Amino acid sequence: MTGLMALLKKEILEQWRTYKLLIVGGIFLFFGITTPLMLKYLPQIIELAGSSGMEINIPPPTAVESLVEYAGTVGQLGVLIAVLMMMGSIANELRHGTAVMTLSKPVSRAAFVNAKFIASSLTFLVSLILASVFCYGYTVWLIGDADIMAFAGQNLLVGMFLVFCLAITLLFSSLFKNSLAGGGIAFAVLVGQAGLSAIPRFGDYFPGKLLNWGNVLLTSDSKSYWWALIITVALIALCLYLAQYFLSKRDI
Amino acid sequence: MTAIKTVGLSKYYGNVKALDKLDLEVPENVVFGFLGPNGAGKTTTVKLLTGFSHPTHGSAQVAGETVAGGNIRLQSKIGLLPDVPAFYDWMNGREFLKFVGELHRLPVTDIKKRSEELLETVDLKKAANRRIGGYSRGMRQRLGIAQALMNNPSVLFMDEPTSALDPIGRREVLELISRLRQSATIFMSTHILSDVERVCDMVGVIDKGRLITVSTVSALRKKYARAIFEIEFMENATPFMETLKKVPWLADPTITVEQGNPVLRVRALDVDFARREFPKLITGNGLTLMRYEMSAPSLEDIFVEIMNSENSR
Repeated sequence: MTGLMALLKKEILEQWRTYKLLIVGGIFLFFGITTPLMLKYLPQIIELAGSSGMEINIPPPTAVESLVEYAGTVGQLGVLIAVLMMMGSIANELRHGTAVMTLSKPVSRAAFVNAKFIASSLTFLVSLILASVFCYGYTVWLIGDADIMAFAGQNLLVGMFLVFCLAITLLFSSLFKNSLAGGGIAFAVLVGQAGLSAIPRFGDYFPGKLLNWGNVLLTSDSKSYWWALIITVALIALCLYLAQYFLSKRDI
Repeated sequence: MTAIKTVGLSKYYGNVKALDKLDLEVPENVVFGFLGPNGAGKTTTVKLLTGFSHPTHGSAQVAGETVAGGNIRLQSKIGLLPDVPAFYDWMNGREFLKFVGELHRLPVTDIKKRSEELLETVDLKKAANRRIGGYSRGMRQRLGIAQALMNNPSVLFMDEPTSALDPIGRREVLELISRLRQSATIFMSTHILSDVERVCDMVGVIDKGRLITVSTVSALRKKYARAIFEIEFMENATPFMETLKKVPWLADPTITVEQGNPVLRVRALDVDFARREFPKLITGNGLTLMRYEMSAPSLEDIFVEIMNSENSR
């Protein structure tokens, strides 16, 4: 992978200079902080909003509820952010001509693709770590104690799922010069796999199941989805291979 | 030694032959002008020679390397200035050159030194710390030239290198290209004939994907030499016209009136012979010369003639 380090350095700098890290980090952090806050103060919020004389009994929130809610929000919203952020990563470079400038230097197509993937994954993982630290802190402070190891495991699984979303979008970004086309198809594929992962038993092999597994970790259920994890890792590798393969086969 | 060699290089898009069986040899250390009208296949050729496009048939070698997408050794030996150079607009000029140096895996000290040299060469030193997004088209073109030279390439591809430049910028770039021929082979695609006339040692003319001719500029001039004599006399030249019509080494004599003076134009069929004999013929007819000159065809005339003869086939 000739040129990977130079390209990775540039991609990381680009994440910072074009505010991608700030945006993704900011959104994740927002949900990391507001989820436990919302759960804790929901009764007061409803009361302030005026309940028209109706009596609403909301049971006191649990720490597990807060962390599951947070992971769910980040998992769902993360898909959208991953697609939006990644859909132009290769397509825009092909359309604007920067890919020609870079690839006319001694760098491999694999390094070009992988640098983008690693830098974006780092952005997501750093944002996720930051948001999860705040979410856990606020949850323990406002609601109650929670199993930190289980929450770390849940975040790892959410992170792996989001990295998979990045890889899928990167693959379709390498196929089209129009970023909307690549993003649209990637989003459709991700929605499709989410639907399939909801099918009992059959769905246990899909990346979407990683989000369920994360929740299971927190509720102390012993059910695990190792096949979903193995297949997700394999699919990420396949997406990266195909992206660089299609990039090397196409006219730029 | 041959810097660029293609054998039957072709690129078809369905029924459209963007490039058809290009057989070309460009020697080392020459400035090769690749001439052709818009859509002739110039950019397609550059893309094929730099590995950005896959040929339908044929093969190419550049700087001793077989051209194929992702050939790292080839990419380390060439420089490319695309027709519209594109940059990461969030970088500044100096950062971009540093990035290019890192891609070429040059030592850090060399990157710094070379970047400063190139910024000086392309007159971007003052703007080096400004974001590229704020550069004018001419500045982007000059930065494009600088990045293409970062690795001291042995073969430099330039697609329309002067198209976005003002007259001064154009002159400077052409002077730079002239100097570079000592260390590199330059393949310059263009439709600006005056640029070719000024710096190119060899030209290839392409139209509708087919290479029409390859030659040195001087040989092309010689081949298409249609020297025209323009003469002004003190006396009425109309009777002399009749004499000229009978001379076998001259053709098409005409008289036009320009600024009140009759000007005689006649085409020499045998240029060298006409140069020697024409003055004798004039004096022999007792005429007094006011002006006598021979105009050689410009490259533009030659280009138009080549295109016309190609289109009339």
